Amino acid sequence: MTKKLFKHLNYYLMLWIIFSVGVITTVFASPNRNLQIFTIITTIILYVIWGILHHKINHELTRKITIEYLLIGLLGLSIIFFIFTGGI
Amino acid sequence: MFKFLHHYLIPQTSNNYRARLLHHKILSLFILFFFSAGILMSVTKTNFPEVLGISSDVSIDQLLVLTNQKRQESGLGVLTLDQRLSQAAASKGNDMLAKGYWAHISPDGTTPWVFIKGAGYTYTYAGENLARGYTNSSDVINAWMASDSHRQNMLSGNYANVGFAVVTGSLNGEETVLVIEMLGTTALAATPSNTQNEGITEVAQASSEETTPQTPVISQEENKEKIKVEEEEVKKTIASKPAPEIRPLINAETFSSNLAQIAITIFMFVFILDMVIIERKKILRFVGHNLDHIMFLGLIFALILVLLKGYII
Repeated sequence: MTKKLFKHLNYYLMLWIIFSVGVITTVFASPNRNLQIFTIITTIILYVIWGILHHKINHELTRKITIEYLLIGLLGLSIIFFIFTGGI
Repeated sequence: MFKFLHHYLIPQTSNNYRARLLHHKILSLFILFFFSAGILMSVTKTNFPEVLGISSDVSIDQLLVLTNQKRQESGLGVLTLDQRLSQAAASKGNDMLAKGYWAHISPDGTTPWVFIKGAGYTYTYAGENLARGYTNSSDVINAWMASDSHRQNMLSGNYANVGFAVVTGSLNGEETVLVIEMLGTTALAATPSNTQNEGITEVAQASSEETTPQTPVISQEENKEKIKVEEEEVKKTIASKPAPEIRPLINAETFSSNLAQIAITIFMFVFILDMVIIERKKILRFVGHNLDHIMFLGLIFALILVLLKGYII
């Protein structure tokens, strides 16, 4: 795991930036729920794009991997949707 | 049962060396579940508020005790609960819900002082603290204490009375709990030392974390006419809108956040387990990086905490 992290340090640094900006903008967007939804969806889309590009650049992208990133992104989105519509 | 769990959580021959929970079909089922559950909960909240809704453990008694505790710790006298200020706080809360705003001053320019005057409290000093989305009294008090302007309001020697209201309702489509604290001193209660420090004119102060420089300072004389008209409106509001208190069987916020957090934790655990076992066994697979997904789920967890966090103004 550590080996992988160091090997792909630049990619993970970019992912951390995407995530950090996502969390910070969501914090600053409160209590504007529409803006929060926008920042969260943008962060999730960027994650899926990042994941697919990461595999593409490393020549290991397959259809199955693309679907996996889309599904994980959708899982995150569905959980956030559940919180928004059901909980708050 | 053990075999079933093994198949779903641990990569092995039976699941093609990928925990069954992480297979596309199962992931799709979870996605479908969360989307449908969200819709179902929303419908239930609207049609059966006695079953599912937002409730909180914020109580006026506790707010009063905790406020006075903080004041005593700072060497200040205790505040007495004034029913007129509590009534003013309740009408302010109902006004925010009815007009759909979250601010010290309503979009039509109604200030907190109008509610205080409308409740029959003639103040020398008055202040207001607002909190939203908190589920217990100590979190509300701690949030106010952590903000300079709110702390100054709570720990001001200018106040002798306090009133609280906890109002639950839909604010711009979002079910939430509003906590309103109105502080004040009547002309009779004001001490000479206070007036020496702050001046003897009747002023009103609102506390706002972000808009402190724009703190409204209103001369009663200048706004006498306007206030009188608004007071009448507020009195009508108080008479016509008693806050209905429905305590739901299930707290939607706690239920949904717990369920979501449990699901995320299970997925993160399975991804970690999958990653460790596959690395140890040195099995070659063409799947996404588990580390990416673990980090992503961690982000979703953090975002849920941000969404459920209360705010103060």
